[in-house]
Amino acid sequence: MATAARILSAIILALVLIFLIMPIAIVIPISFSPSTIFSFPPTGFSLRWYENIRNADGILRALWLSTQIAGLSTAISLLLGTLCAIAIVRGFIPGGRLVATFMTSPLMIPGLVLGIAMLQAAREIGLRDGYAALLLAHVVVTMPFIMRTVLASLALFDFAMVDAARMLGCSYPAALWRVLVPNILPGFVSGALFAFIVSFDNYPVSIFLVDVRTKTLPIQLLNQLEMSPDPTLAAVATIMVVLTILALLVCDRLVGLKRMAAV
Amino acid sequence: MTSVARPAPASGRPPAYLQVAQLTKRFGSATVLHDLNLTVEKGEFVSLLGPSGCGKTTLLRLIAGLMRPETGRIVIADRELTRVPAHKRQVGVVFQNYALFPHLTVAENVAFGLTNQRRSRDEIKRRVGEALQLVRMAPFADRSVSALSGGQQQRIAVARAIVVEPAILLLDEPFSALDRKLRETMQIELRHILRDLGITSIFVTHDQDEALVMSDRIAVMNEGQIEHLGTPADIYTSPKSLFVLEFVGLSTRLGGTVVSSHGGEVEVETAFGRMRAPAQFRPGSPVVVAVRPEAISIGESEGDGRNVVRARLTDVVYLGAKTQLHLRGERSGDLIQAEIARLPPGGLPSGSELALTWRVEDTMVFPAPASAAS
Ligand SMILES: Nc1ncnc2c1ncn2[C@@H]1O[C@H](COP(=O)(O)OP(=O)(O)OP(=O)(O)O)[C@@H](O)[C@H]1O
Ligand SMILES: [Mg+2]
Repeated sequence: MATAARILSAIILALVLIFLIMPIAIVIPISFSPSTIFSFPPTGFSLRWYENIRNADGILRALWLSTQIAGLSTAISLLLGTLCAIAIVRGFIPGGRLVATFMTSPLMIPGLVLGIAMLQAAREIGLRDGYAALLLAHVVVTMPFIMRTVLASLALFDFAMVDAARMLGCSYPAALWRVLVPNILPGFVSGALFAFIVSFDNYPVSIFLVDVRTKTLPIQLLNQLEMSPDPTLAAVATIMVVLTILALLVCDRLVGLKRMAAV
Repeated sequence: MTSVARPAPASGRPPAYLQVAQLTKRFGSATVLHDLNLTVEKGEFVSLLGPSGCGKTTLLRLIAGLMRPETGRIVIADRELTRVPAHKRQVGVVFQNYALFPHLTVAENVAFGLTNQRRSRDEIKRRVGEALQLVRMAPFADRSVSALSGGQQQRIAVARAIVVEPAILLLDEPFSALDRKLRETMQIELRHILRDLGITSIFVTHDQDEALVMSDRIAVMNEGQIEHLGTPADIYTSPKSLFVLEFVGLSTRLGGTVVSSHGGEVEVETAFGRMRAPAQFRPGSPVVVAVRPEAISIGESEGDGRNVVRARLTDVVYLGAKTQLHLRGERSGDLIQAEIARLPPGGLPSGSELALTWRVEDTMVFPAPASAAS
């Protein structure tokens, strides 16, 4: 009885994993295919689509823009979110719990709604610069991910350590840097990783804020798909998969994936 | 000229090393410390003793600079600290849960303060080594602090605080997480270390035995004020209030009313008869008459100069060093608990009629608490 149940659950687990990984796995061989159409299994091996990334109009530029926006918005969210989380956890501001809920609320709002709202807001405050508007919107999008992990890490952090560091000669900011930061590093890394990825492949919010000169990668890829649907896209996707795996490995080295998953 | 406001030395003596004057702290509408005053001499070990919630931790945090008082001032070694931020006060703190840094090794924890002072590498190494030697933790220098027992963590917390040679050391119930046996060892050990180094210390506890064993002086706190600051013997033999009497040591207490007062002596009517005591109260004042257990003898010479309580013994509770007698008054039927040092040879049979006597000089009188006016 118990063995039957165990075998069944193993099968279900395997199916779920296949279902999750299959699409990603299929993209990789396609990117090395010599033919111009998406065909599986591939009929040969070539790197022409990787070379084509350079020729394809705007993909590299979009990649660079997305990296910038994701990196900057993650960094800004990390700094502001952490300071805000400390204020909430330490009760420096009245109604801190409410603020925490508010700052994680973009998670619960559909991206399209958020995108329209951000566009409207940018117009209202007269923010003409497309880059700045995009960055601001991505800070809003990434903030909840940072807030969630940092708040969870801080809940387990003993602030008496900060007091101890202060009594040993650290100013308050220095104490945070030397004691709080190293101790909640796993939370920072996993929050930052999430935030980066969420910003990097955000479509619904960005679509309202991009203009001709500022197109993020997901939007550029979709354009590309409409104009010339060839395995160049698969090549870009493969590169992103590899980069993601590399990022995970680096994080594992840095803080350990177990500790990251725990927060 | 007026920038350095030195408090005037009281009665020609040099000012105390630590002076806390008129300190008031509020949290919202709750006043946690009322106009609190405390002085500590250099090298002294003073315990703050008081029930939970009386403001002991708050007082320590104010001295440390981790909180700001509403009013009052704090001076250490002639240095006005009231507006100095925590990290510039040179105050050492040993926290209740130690607050060691788990991302650093034992040696790195102890070196933390010296690193902040930008000491040379050699000096840090030498002083950390000495501090670890002092707390007998030298072999553990390269261990992770999370791999230490409670007593070992406690030692590291002490080493980390004293290695920077603070002007004063504050300890907030440092032994509360240790078992009784270890606690007693650590009490003696810590006391020796601090005395050898001549470090002025304030030690928070709500364990009266701990305070009596370790302290040069004890400050008994109640509801945000210091009710009595004195040597352990002083606190025990002549407590300044009923609260101090009850909080430190055992006692036998009888409620009553003053009937006469002359020549520095009062006579008090109680349910167990009239008691005399050296004190001054207006006739008619509700008071509590009290006596420490050592002063009581059973059935001895009732002669002059002694107070007597006659009662029937209902229970004997043996408490190790002390024995508690539960007694019922002959006339009134009131119950009292008398605490005595030792039973007479042959013991005391339950139900026997006893006469407890003690000298008038050993009798203490306090104003009755306002709430117990019945
Ligand atoms: N940050 C705070 N905000 C509001 N009230 C506080 C705060 N800190 C302490 N109090 C209140 O101040 C009073 C004194 O607290 P404190 O921690 O100084 O007591 P304590 O004597 O150290 O008690 P214990 O022996 O339990 O540690 C308590 O009533 C407590 O509830
Ligand atoms: Mg306390």
